Amino acid sequence: MKWIIIQPVRVTLLALALMLMGVTPIWAASAVKGELAPGRAMAQQATKARNLWITADHTKFEALQGPFDEGNQISKACLSCHSEAGAQFRKTIHWSWIGTGPEDPKRLGKGGDSLNNFCISTNNMQDKKCTTCHPGWDGKKAEVNCLACHGQKEINWSESFADYRAFTGSADPEERELATDIQADIRSAAQSVGRPTRKNCGACHFYGGGGNGVKHGDLDSSITLPSKALDVHMGTDGQNFQCTRCHTTVLHNVAGRIYSKPAVTERKSLIEDDLTPKITCESCHSSTPHKSGSKANDHTDRVACQSCHIPQMARELPTKMWWDWSKAGKLKDGKKYNVKGDLDRDVYMSIKGDMKWAKNVQPEYFWFNGSMNTLTVRDTIEPSRVVSVSQPMGSREDHRSRIFPFKVHRGKQPYDTIRKTMLAPMLSGPDGYWETLDWQRALSVGQKALNLPFSGQFDFVETRYAFPTTHMVAPKENVVACTECHTGNGSRLASLTGFYMPGRDGAGIIDSLGWLMVLGSLAGVCLHGLGRFFTNGNGRAK
Amino acid sequence: MLKKLAFITFTVLLVLSLNGVAMAIEAGNQRKGKYTYRKVYKACHQRGEVDSPKPHLSPDAKTQSQWTAVFEDKDFEQFGCQPEWQQLSEADLADIYAYLHDHAADSPSPAKCK
Repeated sequence: MKWIIIQPVRVTLLALALMLMGVTPIWAASAVKGELAPGRAMAQQATKARNLWITADHTKFEALQGPFDEGNQISKACLSCHSEAGAQFRKTIHWSWIGTGPEDPKRLGKGGDSLNNFCISTNNMQDKKCTTCHPGWDGKKAEVNCLACHGQKEINWSESFADYRAFTGSADPEERELATDIQADIRSAAQSVGRPTRKNCGACHFYGGGGNGVKHGDLDSSITLPSKALDVHMGTDGQNFQCTRCHTTVLHNVAGRIYSKPAVTERKSLIEDDLTPKITCESCHSSTPHKSGSKANDHTDRVACQSCHIPQMARELPTKMWWDWSKAGKLKDGKKYNVKGDLDRDVYMSIKGDMKWAKNVQPEYFWFNGSMNTLTVRDTIEPSRVVSVSQPMGSREDHRSRIFPFKVHRGKQPYDTIRKTMLAPMLSGPDGYWETLDWQRALSVGQKALNLPFSGQFDFVETRYAFPTTHMVAPKENVVACTECHTGNGSRLASLTGFYMPGRDGAGIIDSLGWLMVLGSLAGVCLHGLGRFFTNGNGRAK
Repeated sequence: MLKKLAFITFTVLLVLSLNGVAMAIEAGNQRKGKYTYRKVYKACHQRGEVDSPKPHLSPDAKTQSQWTAVFEDKDFEQFGCQPEWQQLSEADLADIYAYLHDHAADSPSPAKCK
C-alpha cells in the first residue's frame, strides 16, 4: 500500500530528472502540435482572400479605340483620364534610375554613377541595350509606357508599330488587311490593363544583367508561375501573391529598393501601424512569429527571417556566379563564338568573357542594417584587393543589424591603372565592345558618356557584388536546420566572427570541464535518487 | 563545234535559271512573309496538328545558305503543317523565304519567332 502511494511521487521525480537532463517528454511536444504559430495566424488574417474589382471597362473608352501608330498616343489616352499618373511616375526610381536625392554626396543608381560587375554601367543611360528595360516608349525622351507595368497582353510594341506603319496605306490589299489585323492587336493590348502581375515586373527584374537569372539568385522566370515549394508566398498552388502584395505602392513609388537608403527604416507589423508598407516579413508575421516557447523567436532580433527560411536560391534555374571580362575577345576561325556549359547556359562568349553558373546556391551571410555601400565610377579603389562594388552595411555592434543572406556575384572587370578608378565601357552600338571587341575604344566612348576621364591605361581587377536574398521563401519543412549554423564543422555562419555562438564556437578545455560538471551533477542526482529509492525513504525520521 | 555551242548554251541557260530562282525567292517581302509564316501555324494550330501557334522553326534555326537550299529544293516537309504549306502561292513562299533568310543565324539581325 505504501508503495502505491509513494509511486506517483517517484515517477514525478524521475520525469523531473529527465527534463533536467534535457529530454523533452513526448506529451510536451504533442501539447503544441496543431497550434498555429502566431506569425502564421497573423499573416493569414492580414492576407485573407480578397475579391479585387475595377469599376471601369477599358474596352469601352473612346480614347482607347485608336488607331495607334506609336506608343506615345496610347500613353496620352491613358493620361487623359489618369491625369496625375505620368507626373507621379516620372518622380520614381523606376523612371529616373537614380536612387539618391540632390542632397546626397553620391549620384547612385543605374542611371547615375553606380556600376555593377555584370554589364557594368548604363553609361549615363546612353547604352541603348540597357535602356530596353526603361519604362518609357523611348527612354526618358518620350512618354511613360504605362503598359510596361499595367499591360496584361503580351505584344512586341516596336515591331507591331513598325509593321503597322509599313502596311497601312499600302497599294497591296493583302498588306492593308495585315495592317487592320495588327491595329486590332495593338488596340486589344492597349485596352487590356490591370494591376501589375509577376509577369509585368519579371519582364525586367527576372532578366537583369542581360539574361534569365543572371543578376538575382532569387528572381528568375521560374517565379512567373512558381510552385509553393519554390516560394510559399507566390506559389500558384498556395497564396499566389503578386509582387505588389508585399511591394506596396504609394504615388507609384514601389517599396523595396535599396541603395544607401534602406527599403524601410522601421520593421513594424500591421498591428503596430496598419499603414506600414508590407515590405518586411514582420509586417504580416510580427517579430515573434513562432509558437510560444520556440527558440526561433529568440533569434529574430539578430537573425533575419530570410536567413533560415531561404536555404538555397536558384532552386529551379541557374544563376550566374562569376563573370570574367578579361577573357573576352577570343575568336574562332576569325569569328565571335559562344560555348554552352552543363546547365544549358553560356560559359564563354567572345563578347562577354568567362562565366560560371550554379543551381541550389547556398547564400553567404553578412550583418546588414538595410543599407548598401555602393561603389561609383568616381570612387578610388585599391586594385591589390578584391573590390566590393556593392556591399551590405552593418555590424554586430549596430543594434539595427541582423544576419542576412546574400548572393555574392564575383568577376573581373576593367579599371584605370593610372587613375585607380573603375571603368565603364560602352558595350552596345557601333562603338561598343560587343561590336568592335576593342577595349580602348569601348572604354573611351563609355567614359566620355559619363563625362569622366580615361588615362588610356587599363587592366582587370577582381570584384564582388552582394544582393540581398529575399524571394524563394521555402516551405517550413525545408528551412535551415539549427545544426547547419550551430556547428563547428562547416557552419553557414563560419565567416561571421567576433561573437560566441553555441555549437559553433568553444574552447576544448572549457567544454571538457563543462561536460565534466554536467556529468558529475547527473551522476550525483542519479546516485542520490537511487539511494532514496532503495532505502525506501525520504531521509526524514518516520 | 556544235557540241561546244550546245554545251555553252546549256550552261548559260542553267546559270540563268538558277539565278532566276534565287532572284525570284529573294524578291519577296520579308515583313509580309513574317505574318504569312505566322498565319500558316495559326491555321495549323486551329486545325489541331500542332500544340502551339508559334512556328517551331525560327529564322535563326538555319544559316542564310541553308534557307536558300531549303527553298530552292522546295523541301518543306520539315516545316510540318503540309496542308497549309501546299496552299501557299509562289509569292507567299518568296515572302516567307525573304523573312527566314533575312533573319537567319548568320544574318545581321537573327530572329526567333515569338
